[in-house]
Amino acid sequence: MAWQGSLSRGSGVAQAGTGSFELPIDLPSRLGEAGGKTSPEELLAAAHGGCYATSLAGEVARAGGTVERLDVRCTVTIDEVGDKGHLIVSSELNVRARADGIDADGFERAAQAADEGCSFSTMLRASATVSVQATLES
Amino acid sequence: MAAERHASVTWNGDLMGGSGTIDEVGSGAFGPLDVSWPARSEESSGGKTSPEELIAAAHASCFSMALAGGLAEAGSAPERLQTSAAVTFVPGTGITRIAVTVLGTVPGLDAEAFREAAEDAKRNCPVSQALGSVPEITLDAQLA
Repeated sequence: MAWQGSLSRGSGVAQAGTGSFELPIDLPSRLGEAGGKTSPEELLAAAHGGCYATSLAGEVARAGGTVERLDVRCTVTIDEVGDKGHLIVSSELNVRARADGIDADGFERAAQAADEGCSFSTMLRASATVSVQATLES
Repeated sequence: MAAERHASVTWNGDLMGGSGTIDEVGSGAFGPLDVSWPARSEESSGGKTSPEELIAAAHASCFSMALAGGLAEAGSAPERLQTSAAVTFVPGTGITRIAVTVLGTVPGLDAEAFREAAEDAKRNCPVSQALGSVPEITLDAQLA
């Protein structure tokens, strides 16, 4: 990450070690309209969604099912909390799955276990509520 | 004021042999990005990103913004901050360590004051607080 200038008028670029991305970031696009720029919260949403998807793929297999496709949408919210300033207050996971060999109850249990097994869910609970809404499509 | 940011991920197949894609993010700034378990857990990522790399980018950018804000508030706006966050992931355990290093160009500020401002940013930036349960977050802050 290279940052230039003050917080309110400066800007930065986040670069990935693997070379996968190079992204401009600034404050107005973090707290207001994104304007095509990413933010720490959007990167967290991508990280948490990715972590949960891999965890759920593992749990469905452990329950005897076969994953065809998982669609995970993760929404991270930052808000000002009393005198604590800005905090990450929530991360919501919405999941639609297509899988064979597992029924709705088994899938519900797998979705719960995936939340417990996703280390990012556990970590983020330090300041945020984490919720999962998962649906098995027939 | 609350701000919501979202990302959508698709996963195909099982954990070890399957693979996923971060299809799109709300801002449209990136995607699609490929992710897989080997890229996440093995030494060589093969050019693919991982949740841990995204956490590193989130933490480095959040920390940099908090530090820029703190320095400017104290009357020493930075010219440039170069921050790196290295995330250590242990499969089965999770993230065990994040090492943050920052090299700052800040006119009129001494090394000790810069270190203090950096410690403050490490403690208080929203991503640091959300990652509060990571066992070890280290900081190396120096002036260029």
